[in-house]
Formats: sequence, structure tokens, C-alpha cells
Amino acid sequence: MSTFPAPSGTPADIGEHAHDPVVPVRPVLAATGVTVRFGGLVALSDVGLEVPPGAIVGLVGPNGAGKSTLFAVLSGLLHPAAGRVDLCGEDVTHASPQLRARKGLARTFQQPELFMGLTVREHLVLADRIRFARRRLWSDMLSPRSLLASSRSENERVDALLELLNLTRVAQATVAALPLGTSRLVEIARALATRPDVVLLDEPLSGLDMRESEDVASAFRRVVDNDEHRVSLLMVEHDVATVLSLSSRIFVLDFGQLIASGTPAEIHGNTVVRSAYLGDEGSPPAAGAQVNR
Amino acid sequence: MLQYVIAGLVLGGIYAIASAGLVITYVSSGILNFAFGALAFFVARFYYYLHVQQSWGIVPAAVVSIVLVSPAIGVFLYFALFRFLRLSSPLIKVVATLGLLVAIPAIATLIFGSQAILKAPGLAPEPVRVFVFLGVPVTMDQIIVYVCVAATVVLGASVLRYTDVGLKVRAMVDSPAKTALSGTSANAVSVGVWAVSTFFAGLAGVLAAPIIGLSAGNFTLLIAAAFAAVVAAKLRSLPIAVGVGLAMGVVTSLIQRYLPPASSWTTEIIDAVPFMFIAVFLVYNLVRGGRVSETERVGGALDLAIIPQGGSRLAGSTAGALESGSVGLIGKYAGPLALMAAAFGLPMLVQGFWVGLLAQAFAYGIIFLSFTLVTGEGGMIWLCQITFAGVGALTASQLATNHGWPVLVAIVAGGLVALPMGLIIGFLTIRLGDLYVALVTLAFGLLMENLVFTMGIFQNQGLGVNMARPGFAASDLGFAYLCLVAFVIAALFIFNLRRSTTGLALNAVRWSEPGARTLGISVVQMKIIVAGLGALVAGIGGGFLVAAQTSAQPGNFATFLGVVWLVVLVTVGVRSNVAALVAGLLFVMLPALALAYLPNWTAEILPVFFGLGAITAAKFPDGTLARGGQLFRRWLLRVANRRRPRLPGEPAAAGGVRVAAQGGTGDATPVVEEVSS
Repeated sequence: MSTFPAPSGTPADIGEHAHDPVVPVRPVLAATGVTVRFGGLVALSDVGLEVPPGAIVGLVGPNGAGKSTLFAVLSGLLHPAAGRVDLCGEDVTHASPQLRARKGLARTFQQPELFMGLTVREHLVLADRIRFARRRLWSDMLSPRSLLASSRSENERVDALLELLNLTRVAQATVAALPLGTSRLVEIARALATRPDVVLLDEPLSGLDMRESEDVASAFRRVVDNDEHRVSLLMVEHDVATVLSLSSRIFVLDFGQLIASGTPAEIHGNTVVRSAYLGDEGSPPAAGAQVNR
Repeated sequence: MLQYVIAGLVLGGIYAIASAGLVITYVSSGILNFAFGALAFFVARFYYYLHVQQSWGIVPAAVVSIVLVSPAIGVFLYFALFRFLRLSSPLIKVVATLGLLVAIPAIATLIFGSQAILKAPGLAPEPVRVFVFLGVPVTMDQIIVYVCVAATVVLGASVLRYTDVGLKVRAMVDSPAKTALSGTSANAVSVGVWAVSTFFAGLAGVLAAPIIGLSAGNFTLLIAAAFAAVVAAKLRSLPIAVGVGLAMGVVTSLIQRYLPPASSWTTEIIDAVPFMFIAVFLVYNLVRGGRVSETERVGGALDLAIIPQGGSRLAGSTAGALESGSVGLIGKYAGPLALMAAAFGLPMLVQGFWVGLLAQAFAYGIIFLSFTLVTGEGGMIWLCQITFAGVGALTASQLATNHGWPVLVAIVAGGLVALPMGLIIGFLTIRLGDLYVALVTLAFGLLMENLVFTMGIFQNQGLGVNMARPGFAASDLGFAYLCLVAFVIAALFIFNLRRSTTGLALNAVRWSEPGARTLGISVVQMKIIVAGLGALVAGIGGGFLVAAQTSAQPGNFATFLGVVWLVVLVTVGVRSNVAALVAGLLFVMLPALALAYLPNWTAEILPVFFGLGAITAAKFPDGTLARGGQLFRRWLLRVANRRRPRLPGEPAAAGGVRVAAQGGTGDATPVVEEVSS
């Protein structure tokens, strides 16, 4: 059962770090009826999901289920044929990736897309300035401010993030020099430096060994538990055990359709999900899980 | 009409053979060979040497030059250079072939001499027999071209479709990584492909020689025209490349029919036709697909996985980035400051003629800073910076000389005229891949050179337009220092920009467009900013250059001369401001020193050195100056460590990150060990 392992602990323990909202709140990110076609192929059909504030939400599914396509739609790299994407209550379906970034959406990539010529600290400084110190081009070119030291508030924000993700000791290292696990943390830190409302994490544990995976997973917990800034994480990940242990809510895609959504315990007991992963026709779904097929 | 079609098919046939050679090397190795024209010239010159100067018969001369020497050159180049470039960035690949483009004609001159050969025999026996076909005279040389094109198409298609070799080549095109994993030697296939490609270059060269004479410049222009067919084929389709090559020749010939033969514009328009084809094809593809990139449909996930991150925009090496991050402020700036101090002292140390040359060298330094901006900072392969310099130069000379503007105001105005051109080209190429950008900017430069720079107002009957200097800096010494001050201002401006938020964002875009975009950085804005600033700096530099030369000659801004500029700068270092100044000094002073103090032939060797220097960019993407600086810093560090007594138990390094291994090409992912402090 390596593909879909039982989570450790009882169902009650699953998602213990989650911030399950008791009172219905407006989701920070919502997709409704998203459909994507590539020629005759329907990659996504009427898919919807919601990410509440301050929560880790998992998005799982077998290979070819449409997870990456949905991520591309949510981050603005792909426009859907039908459906709508809302970010903090605002329709961003047709907004560019950079506009979504400015409105509070950040993302990481399966292969970290870092800037090899910059140090770890410079990654965070750039992201921080994009959020807090947007300057005009002319002032950037003509003012000698760049020759002076950074502002105190900028340094404090950057230092806090470096500390949160245990990156302080490599802050001055050029990212080309870093191992994969640290690179992923830098990418996450860079995303957080823009003070987003939601971060899309594309297979953040892919290629990591067990220790690196634990480091990254614990960083996610620290991020959502951080009281200074309430951020949500939407995570696509093949390591289902980690998704079950981290997430408060999970959405399951298969063949471009949303086949289930619910808490980790509900998803774990869902036979339709098990069938999608393992191919066995199962018994009825667990109580509470929404089955969309 | 038939007469024009038959004549057009000759030129089209040569385009077709050249584009076939270009496409097969691109699809098998990812290298668009800008040196194809230079190779064609070399083989044609060798054929002329054997057949005319050594009195060999046509057949033995053709067999030795086209069948034996051409493929041998291809095999040699593959083993000596191209096999190391497979995973390099497009910039490195382009610069390496541009280095060959500069070096090969110079090597030909060293071997065969520099005599101008206006009439060269083809493969037909002389006197060339003329046949009449449907009332149209057709020469034996033309018939040989038709036969060669037909043989290329039939043999090429048959080999690719029906043979085991063809299957392997097609597999390589689809996925080099998977082909290698299935047991096919990528090296063996590539060697064969390079041999065939240079065979085509040789064949095209010998066939073209009777039409265009034996001039390296004409060959390069002819093959640059063949790039239009390659663009139409989206770099990958052999049948489309051959078909469009033929069609282009016919269309060019038919257009000629309707233009007045006596007009000076006729030749210029005819020369510009292929470059108009490039524009039409790109606009068509952009409208149809929204984006044209050479990375489309290339390889699979495995091939993508082995391409280094940031490879598409790499202007510099990860090794260089690592080292620059590990040196202190003194280590970083001592060298450049020392070089700048030396530059300020130089005009005082020399006299007369040499001071005037220094003024030109400093003006070249300003122009080269535009490459630093566009290619070094922006990671874009622009081959028309010389055109912007020309626009600035010609505008400044017109305004200063014919309209009485103050010289410095005219120079700045020249830059401001070039600025919107840069913005427009930047905007138009925003959705193009790196190689297409290189081709479009090359085409733009050649169009401007053919259609605008040839206008009577600029040519002034071959005399050019005089350009005065400002009254306060009329002497060579005064103007040299004025140019140097202008260089320092431009360099400080770029230095400030590089350290600013915009500079960080530019760096981000160069390494990862998706990463930058999802961070909220506008890639479009960044590229257009760089394009505009690059054009502005080049235009102002062009103004200073013609003031240093006291005359604005349009011929000094020929597009392929700009390629030499880029090659010189890449050799020295395309990411460093001071390297731009050093490149200007080398470009101007070395030939003058060679002519003054060394035998004349040594001046011919310099282009070879510059060309080969650019090829070393594959190994040291940061340039020789940065490389020298790195070696010097390491030496200083070793000396300092040797002199300092080590404390008991102290590790070799004091802390931080120590680079344990670095990729030889600068593209490999380095491995580091973290050293505890």
C-alpha cells in the first residue's frame, strides 16, 4: 500500500496541525467549475476547490489526473476554457501571473525556479521589495539609494523569514551552491517574503530524502502556525502520507475530475479514492466525504 | 517570366542547400551555425586555390575540397568545439559560432592571401556552355545547381526516411537523451551530421562563388539570407526549409523584374528581400501561435531535466556566481578600480596619433556597455547594437553638422532617436525564443544597413558627414578624457542599476522567467527596459565614436562588424563594465600596435585570436578578464593564508560555504560542502 499508505495515529490525529475553521469564512483561494481543454482532450472538467485562510490544503491524484494543469490555472500560467478563479474574493480568472502575485498568490515549482546569480538573502530582499518597496524605474536608475544599506524594517522582515525557515546560516550563499532540500526552503521563503495570502506548493517533497522531507514538512507547520502573518498553503504532493498528516482538507483529482474532498480521515477511508489509486472497486465512501463521481 | 523563375531557382537552390545544412545541425545538436557562410567561403576559396591557383582539374579539386575537406572540417569542429556545447545556453552556442564566423575568414586570409577575387569559376568547365530551354538560356553552372538541389532533396529525404542512420537522426531530433539511453551513440550521430552539414556548406560555397565572387562578406550575407528559410521552417523542418529557400530565390528574382533596373534602390530592396521574409514568417507564427520559441517540441521530460536551470537565459556561469558571492568588497572592486585608474593615466602617457586612438577606444567602450546591458544583464542575444550605434552616430552628425546643434546635445539626441527603436524591437521580440531574437535583430540590422544607411544624405557620395567635437574638448587629449568621463557616467549608471531592485529583478528574469513572473515581476517590462537602455547607450556611444573619428561613415556600422564587436566583448567579459572599456582598448589598440611595431600579417591574426577567444566563452562564460581576476584573487588568498599562522584546531576555511567542485562549462550544478564556523 505504498501508494496510499495508512497515516500514522488514529483518524482523530490526522491533520492535527490543521487550522480547521469552525465558523465558515471566505476562502482565500477558490476555483469554481474550471474546465481546461487541450484540443480534443479534456484535462480538467468542472473542477472546484476552496482554500480557507491559515490552512494547509492537499491536492492529490494519480499521474495524469490534472493536478499540474489546475495549478497552472490557479497561478495564471494557463487560462481555463470555462470556470472562475477567485483570490481573496476577487475574480482573477483572466489576470496575469504577476498580477496574481501582487494580489497575494505565490507559488513554488517542482524543479525549484531559483535565480542562480543571487544569494539566498537577495532572493528574499527582492521578494520583500516587490511587496513593500515598489519603486519606480527612474528612481531606481537615477537615485544612488542602491549603494546604501537596506532599511532596518526590510532587514528585520528578511531576517525573521530566514530564521523561520532555518536559512540564516546560508543567507549569504549563492543559491547555485545549495542542496535540493535547502533550495526548496529558499523558494518557499522567497514566496513568503511577498507576504502572500496563499502559497501553491508544487510537489515540494519531490526528490528529497527522508530527513530533508521532514525538515520541509516541519517548515510548513511553522509557516501556518506563525501568528505574524496568516498564510494558507495548497500543496500538490505524491507523498500521500505527508499530505494526510499535514493537511486540514484534501481534494482528490482523477482523469481531470474532482472525485472527492474532505478531511484527511474522510479521504483515507474513501473507497472511490482508493479505487482511483489502486484500481480496486470498493465499498461506499466514508461518512462526511463528498464524492463527486 | 520563365527566365526569371529559372534564374531565381539558382539562387533559391543555393539558399535551399544552405538552409538544409543549417537545419540538420540545429535539430541534431541545438546549434544554429552562424559560421555556415564563413565555412562556405573557406571551402570555395580552397576550391579556387586548387582549381585556379594550382591548376587542378575541376573533378579532383571539387572532390578534395567539397567531399573530403568540408566534412573533415565539420568533424574537426565537432570534436574541438561543438561536442562541448550540447548543454550550453543558446547565448554560448551563438557566441561560439560567431567566434568561428570571425576567425575562419581571417584564417583563410592567412593561408590563401588577401587578394580580392571578383570572378570565380564554378563546377562547370570554362568556357561555360549555354543551353536554351523553352527559349530561355540556361548555363551549365545553373544546371549543376539544379542537379545538386534535386540530389540533396531526394538523397536527404531517402536517407532520413528509409535508412537506419536516418532513423537514428530522427530519434535524436525527438529526444537526444532517450536516443542515447537506447544504445545509440549521440556522438557518432552528431559527427555524421556535422560532416554532412559542412559538406553542404562547401557545396553551397563552390556553387555560389560564380554568382557572388570570393568575398567573405558576400558569403556571410548570402547565408544570412538563407536564415529566412530556416526561420520559416521553425528551425526544424527540412522540407519546409528547402521549399522556402527555393521559393525565396524565385520571389527575389520576380521582384527584380518589376523594379526599375537603373534605380539604386533596386539592389537595396533585392538584398533586403530575405530579411523581409524573416519578418513575415515571424509575424505569421506569432499571430498563429502567440509565441515562437526554439524550445517548443524539443525533446521530452528527460531532455528538459538534464538542461541546467537558467540555461535558456544564462549569461555568465554558476561558477562565476558562486565565486562572486564568496569574495569581499576589496576583492570585488580592487581590480576594476585599478584598471579604471590605469585608463585615466593612459592618455597622459602617449602622444599624437595614439591619443586619438585612445579617444576612439573609450568611445567603443561606451558602445560595448550596451552589450553589457542587453546581453550581460538582460541575457538577450541582440546582434543589432551596432545599428543603434550607427543610428546615434548618423543622427548626431546630421544635427551637429547640417543643423548647427551643439555637439554634446546632438550626441544625446542621437541616443534618444535610437531609444524608441530599441523599445520597439524589444517589444516585437518579447514572445520570441533566444535564437529567433538573434535572427530578428540580425535581420533588422541588415535591413537598416541596406535601406537606411545607404541613403544619400548619410553616404554623401562616399565621403560621409563631418562631425565636430565640442569646443572645450576639441583636442585629441581633451576629447579622450571627455569620452572616458562619459564612459564612467554610463558605467556608474549601470552599476547603480545592477544593485537596485530593478537590477535584482533583471537578474531574476535572466535566470528564471517562470520564477520571476510568479513573484510579481513583469518579464515584458524588464526586457523592454533593457532593450531601450541598450539602444540609448549604443546610440550615445556611436555619437562619441564619430566625433572621435571626426567623420560619420555609414560603412563603419555594418551589421557583421557588430558581430565582431560582440565577439571581442564576450572574449573579455560581457557582464563587467570595466571589461567593456578593456574590450574597446583591445579592439582599437591591438591592430594599431601590430601594424606599427610588428609584421603586417600579425594584424590578420588578431581576428583569429578574438574569434577563438569567443569560443572559449563555452569554457569561461564570464570572460577572460573575470577569469583572470578569479585566478588573481585565488593566488592572493593562497598567499595570505600561507603567511597567516593557523590557530590550533582551526579548519581550512573560516566558515560559510566552500565550493568543492565547479562545472567546467559553468553550466553544471556545483557541489558544495557547508563548513561549520
